[in-house]
Amino acid sequence: MENEILLLKTLLLSTSQRNIYKYCRDKKKRSKIVGNMVGTAVLYLLLMGYCVLTCVGYGLIGIIRTVPVMCALTISVLAFMFTFIKTNGYLFNFKEYDMLMALPFESKSVAGSRFLYMYIKSLPWYLSIAVAMLIGYGIYASPAWFVYPLWLILSLLLPLIPMLGAAFLGFLIARISSGFRKTNIIQTVLTITLAILAFFLRFIISALFQNNQVEYTLETISGMMDSAAAKYPPAGWFADAVTKHSLSSALLLAGVSVLLFTVVFRIVGRSYRTINSALRSRAASRNYRMSSLKKHSVLNAIAFKEFKRMTGSPVYMTNGGLGMILAALLGVITLILGFDRITAIVTSGAMTDSSILQPAIPFIIHLFIGMEATTACSPSLEGKNYWIVQSLPIDRKTLYRGKMLFNMYLAVPFMLFATLCMCVSAKVPVLNTVLYLILGCALCAFSTAWGCVCGVKHMRLDWENEIEVVKQGTAVTVYLLPNMFAVMILVFLMVILGLRMSHQLLALIMILAASVLAALSYLKVMALARRDV
Amino acid sequence: MSEQAMLDIRNYSKTYGEGKKAADNVSLSVMGGDIYGFIGHNGAGKSTTIRAVVGVLDFTEGEIYIDGHSVKDDPLACKRITAYIPDNPDLYENLTGIQYLNFIADVFGISAQEREERIRKYAETFEITDALGDLIGSYSHGMKQKVAIISALIHNPRLLVLDEPFVGLDPKAAFTLKEIMHEMCAKGAAVFFSTHVLDVAEKLCNKVAIIKQGRILFSGTMEEFTEGHSLEEAFLEADNGE
Repeated sequence: MENEILLLKTLLLSTSQRNIYKYCRDKKKRSKIVGNMVGTAVLYLLLMGYCVLTCVGYGLIGIIRTVPVMCALTISVLAFMFTFIKTNGYLFNFKEYDMLMALPFESKSVAGSRFLYMYIKSLPWYLSIAVAMLIGYGIYASPAWFVYPLWLILSLLLPLIPMLGAAFLGFLIARISSGFRKTNIIQTVLTITLAILAFFLRFIISALFQNNQVEYTLETISGMMDSAAAKYPPAGWFADAVTKHSLSSALLLAGVSVLLFTVVFRIVGRSYRTINSALRSRAASRNYRMSSLKKHSVLNAIAFKEFKRMTGSPVYMTNGGLGMILAALLGVITLILGFDRITAIVTSGAMTDSSILQPAIPFIIHLFIGMEATTACSPSLEGKNYWIVQSLPIDRKTLYRGKMLFNMYLAVPFMLFATLCMCVSAKVPVLNTVLYLILGCALCAFSTAWGCVCGVKHMRLDWENEIEVVKQGTAVTVYLLPNMFAVMILVFLMVILGLRMSHQLLALIMILAASVLAALSYLKVMALARRDV
Repeated sequence: MSEQAMLDIRNYSKTYGEGKKAADNVSLSVMGGDIYGFIGHNGAGKSTTIRAVVGVLDFTEGEIYIDGHSVKDDPLACKRITAYIPDNPDLYENLTGIQYLNFIADVFGISAQEREERIRKYAETFEITDALGDLIGSYSHGMKQKVAIISALIHNPRLLVLDEPFVGLDPKAAFTLKEIMHEMCAKGAAVFFSTHVLDVAEKLCNKVAIIKQGRILFSGTMEEFTEGHSLEEAFLEADNGE
């Protein structure tokens, strides 16, 4: 364990913004770090505020006793999802692998330290949820004094089991893909497939329950929580520890977490070197023969470079492509099952007239498509390669235009396909369909340009692991969260406004608004590019 | 009327955050036809100067002109006639060699026929043709260096700037590169490169600049600097004398 701790300490130090702040004399860089810290603190506060308000709501309707299970489940689901997406870049195929493995460390120590690093980096998010829910629970349930420290201590353990599960799945994917020549593609396909399964899991379970006539039990949130706690024991152990003051449950949670960590990393350690060797080696055929070459415009050349950058990285491909694939899948499923049925499943039968959702179709699709704009992370992803574009006769405007063009090439076809599928399934009139398709394109243009504003403004080239940029970068966070919340609000707004005004007029107004926002964001990118060459 | 310098560095200084001057009032001129060696210890300021010349590093003090164009005011015009090869070329690892070269050719707007001819010529010269279809990530350091060199030559630059170009190259490739440098200079282009290998610099360069702790100790012809001694002796004497 000493080695794990040593490696972990070094890793944390090497990526610590505080450390950079402490030793960096560049005032601009220091103020940027402070700005990032303030921004992150605001996000933590927003998340905590949301959690406290949820608990207050639960308290007011008299179901505060479900909060411990809800806390455990929320943390567990988030921990599982985020770890699953990040495992590939953190545990395997990372930049300093050669350097670390050349040192006298066991494979399991290296893998274990990487996992612990992932755990510590995401812990503040999970603790924010735990603390906020504890506040809400404390107000309405008035628990004994020792519940407070116990809740906090057990909250530290809560993410471990789902994270270990996700890491082990990531390990299995890496193990399987390492046996293929096209490891990147296999790894990305497997990761996206499992992520999609996880995404649709809620609906699959819901459908299964409905078939088994147990819907009645799930009608109340309280019943749902009890059922979930029974199906996911760690949530039940946590709830028992804090509500029934069960020491054995607390010890069970701690014991299983530690045991699982030991077992998982013993298994991972055994084939760690083999997997990494396979993932890091690139096949070379050495049989190229010169043939005729095609000339492209500079913009298309940059867009092609971006495409190859994306397909060369499973982490980038998974994050950049997941939303597109989910949108396309949603379109296909809607086409097969019917818009009405999908609406009934998603809203648990609460919405009887699905036609009122029609004006929101482009926004529903954009919720997925706009999940991550490649433009938000691609400026930072230049990393050490930045010298190439810097030393070439391309101004930054052209470079960013090329990056935006690539995101449009990627997003627009998926947007059009999914929107069209939904419109056909929902029997949207032809003119409205055309307007929704145009609106979809305008939304893509906006998310592309807005993503680029965030990407350029928060560009960070000195990263060690591309996960730091693709998943945890300030640019991505600043792009993702406001975009996601704004689109969610717009979905509701469209439904409400659609009840009162013509859908065509509403679509036209939204096209205009999205186009103006896209144009403003584009101009902002150009202004940012003008600052330097 | 005096001849236009291909590279003209005038009173260039670069100060980093903590007030340390990595380059201090550096001035030198590289004329068309020159093979100009830039020599100094590790951390003397060679790469800092080179990176400013090619427009990778910002600077506030002094001026740098390439064929009369200011690097500060008209960087694109400078970059169109310059090629740069860094000491450790980090290339796009997810592109194949040919895709990377094609990308560079697209940026410089080279016609399909011309790029094909040039890539074919240089790839054969550096014996790398059969590897061009493989991902750059699978290349050795030397192969990456060769691709970087080909990409630098693809648009017939008038100024070739290289940072430690011979590190990692096999003897034949190093010889080929020297030949190419001579060919370029015979056509009126200029070569400006940093090196630690004094033997190479002595045989290859007609002009040399010595930099120490960010300041130029000497700049001029090789003969003026060596005065009948070897470059190594002259360099050590200049270094100790400072």
